Amino acid sequence: MKNLSAIPGLPPLLATVGLLAAWEIAARVIDISGLPPAHEALRELPKILTDKESLLNILDSIRRMVIGFALALAFAIPVGLMMGRSRFVAAFFNPLLMIIYPVPKAALMPIIMLWLGVGDASKTLVIFLGVSLPVIYHSYQGARAVEEKMLWSAAAMGMGARARLLRIVLPAALPEIVVGIRTGLVLALITMVTSEMIARKQGVGDILFNALAMAQYETVYATIVIIGMLGFIIDVGFERLRAHMVAWAEPAHEIAVGST
Amino acid sequence: MTSARRFSEIAVGILPIALVLALWQGIVASGIAPPVLLPAPGAVFARLIEQVGNRQFLENAAITLYRLFAGFSIAVVLGVTLGVAATGSKTIEGIVKPLVRVLAPLPKVALYPAMILILGFDDASKIALVAADAVFPILLATWQGTGAVEPKLVWSARAAGTSQRAALFKIVLMAALPSVLTGCRIGLIISCIVVFLAEMITSTDGLGYLMVRAARNFETVDMFVPLISISILGLTLNAAFNALRAWLLRGFPEER
Amino acid sequence: MISIDRLSKSFETARGTSHRALNSISLDVADGEFVSVLGPSGCGKSTLLYIVGGFVGPSEGAVRVKGAAVTGPGPDRGPVFQEFALFPWKTVLGNVMYGLIEQGVAKAAAEKRALSLIELVHLKGYENFYPKELSGGMKQRVAIARTLAYGPSILLMDEPFGALDAHTRTGMQHELLEIWERDRKTVLFVTHSVEEAVFLSDRVVVLTRSPGQIKDILRIDLPRPRRRAELLVDRRYQQYVVDIEKLMDNPAS
Repeated sequence: MKNLSAIPGLPPLLATVGLLAAWEIAARVIDISGLPPAHEALRELPKILTDKESLLNILDSIRRMVIGFALALAFAIPVGLMMGRSRFVAAFFNPLLMIIYPVPKAALMPIIMLWLGVGDASKTLVIFLGVSLPVIYHSYQGARAVEEKMLWSAAAMGMGARARLLRIVLPAALPEIVVGIRTGLVLALITMVTSEMIARKQGVGDILFNALAMAQYETVYATIVIIGMLGFIIDVGFERLRAHMVAWAEPAHEIAVGST
Repeated sequence: MTSARRFSEIAVGILPIALVLALWQGIVASGIAPPVLLPAPGAVFARLIEQVGNRQFLENAAITLYRLFAGFSIAVVLGVTLGVAATGSKTIEGIVKPLVRVLAPLPKVALYPAMILILGFDDASKIALVAADAVFPILLATWQGTGAVEPKLVWSARAAGTSQRAALFKIVLMAALPSVLTGCRIGLIISCIVVFLAEMITSTDGLGYLMVRAARNFETVDMFVPLISISILGLTLNAAFNALRAWLLRGFPEER
Repeated sequence: MISIDRLSKSFETARGTSHRALNSISLDVADGEFVSVLGPSGCGKSTLLYIVGGFVGPSEGAVRVKGAAVTGPGPDRGPVFQEFALFPWKTVLGNVMYGLIEQGVAKAAAEKRALSLIELVHLKGYENFYPKELSGGMKQRVAIARTLAYGPSILLMDEPFGALDAHTRTGMQHELLEIWERDRKTVLFVTHSVEEAVFLSDRVVVLTRSPGQIKDILRIDLPRPRRRAELLVDRRYQQYVVDIEKLMDNPAS
């Protein structure tokens, strides 16, 4: 057992196989149409991925998620950094953040749809909001923790305020920012799926509930697997990127547990 | 703590809320947003107070609370038990660890349709979703916390006659209580959020449903009321849980 | 009482190599004897104690207590640790009562016995305090009371006064001897203070540096009850300390 778990990637692979096996067995034991056996659902996978309309739907979802995520980073990291270095900026933003924090961002969908309609904009905005919060928070914490003495040395060397922010504060706060990005990534996926379940019309969430309504149960489960794979790819991809970017810092949390 | 300090602490807590309310009122008063899109805070709170006396509203809120607590309780029992077991048994750890690793990147809400298919459209699927989302932070916090307990505490108990298995719950779990309760608090917040979202996605009752119904009828004020209600609920439960946690941990040295 | 027969212990290090902590220790401890184990840091003396206590298993050799092999922890061998290891969620009373409850004693009787033990260690009035509210010396007294509560015939003490300041430490040594004189339990006492070992013990076992082996065993022939003020000016006491310190100066085997 000890040697098995030492091989990288093997335990999660075994776990996945185990889960699929358990699913298959459960489906045969609990013989209801609502739980199709794993192999039937998996058979649907290639059909969904090669169906033009479904594929476009999925890509649309990913596109909205990426845009919302990117916009959030572009906004949230500078704001968080500035909050960390300026008490005035922090005092300005903190109340807003404290209010928004307990509200589930996807729950804002109906209100936002009222303002922005049912198209891309509202879903992207919700993802933007969902990602911004953890990124602002962690950028803020990271910037706050930067040692004063580093900044004094830089100022003594003649660096202006903006240069100091970019070339000292940002790199020093980077490990903490990366933790925020990690959480934001998890939330981006969750918010994307949830917002599409609340506001149907297109996207992965819509595919799910359409299939549900039309009793295409295998498609439902196959889509769930696709979403899971998407999450896994994002997870693995990010870890590789993180290893590159902050190789000089200690690894932070192993598994990010996101909330909505 | 002197009463002056106490007062200023509360004031600092209320200030952001007051500021946001002022901002809200400012936007409404300036006329940037038409009242059908952004009702005045006064109107919303008046409606909120009105609804608190409304039987139907309270029934819906009660349903939401029921699902929330049912799902949370399941998550606590499951998460704590698995977390302790994963610390106590290498075999169980070997099963739980990769399972968590595989399931973590999947948004549990994606499983909601499957839960509906298996458990139906009613309470059960919502409770299951709440439990599925809340169990992870509880499990992880319990597992980490119990794994970090000083072995000499267990040794002291074993010398006194406690068996290894009993010590897991009598000693290890108790010693890890600070971590476990932190995980439970996060699980509680997540439970609040998830129950509301599940009710927004498919439901015929509950606070989330009320919000979606108001949206369909273009009743903007009635959209804000459930949203604010769940936020207040979340904040209240958080505060109540913190108080409970502080009392349960009264013997433990203060954390930094 | 305790029979240690060619005991050895090796640990796997993080790097995968094997580190030998103890090398073929053989020692007999008689009933009612107070034996100290001395040695430089890392020589395995605590490990020896843990193996006798049954918390750690031996790699080679065996430990027998009253003729029976040690297979795990038990209420016949009560530990007292340097870090106190008190249960933070229990009060002083709760901590001391723990062993009694585990042994099946009824709550009322357990409470009565615990209260008398708390008085014995001079902590009367602190029954409902939590460990975090106590000083180091007080915590250690609770730990001792907690262990005494379930009536072990052997006390295993792992540098119990190491975390205390010098003055508290000497006070505790005195208190320990007072308690010990009452029923003369067998004590295995790990320390790295030569003076402490000589002051407290009937015999002192000196270990070499890692891997720990017995370098020498000295019988401490000083009368009891032992008074610090008297012993400090006693030539024999001073000679023991000097001799043992010489042994410790050359910690090789």
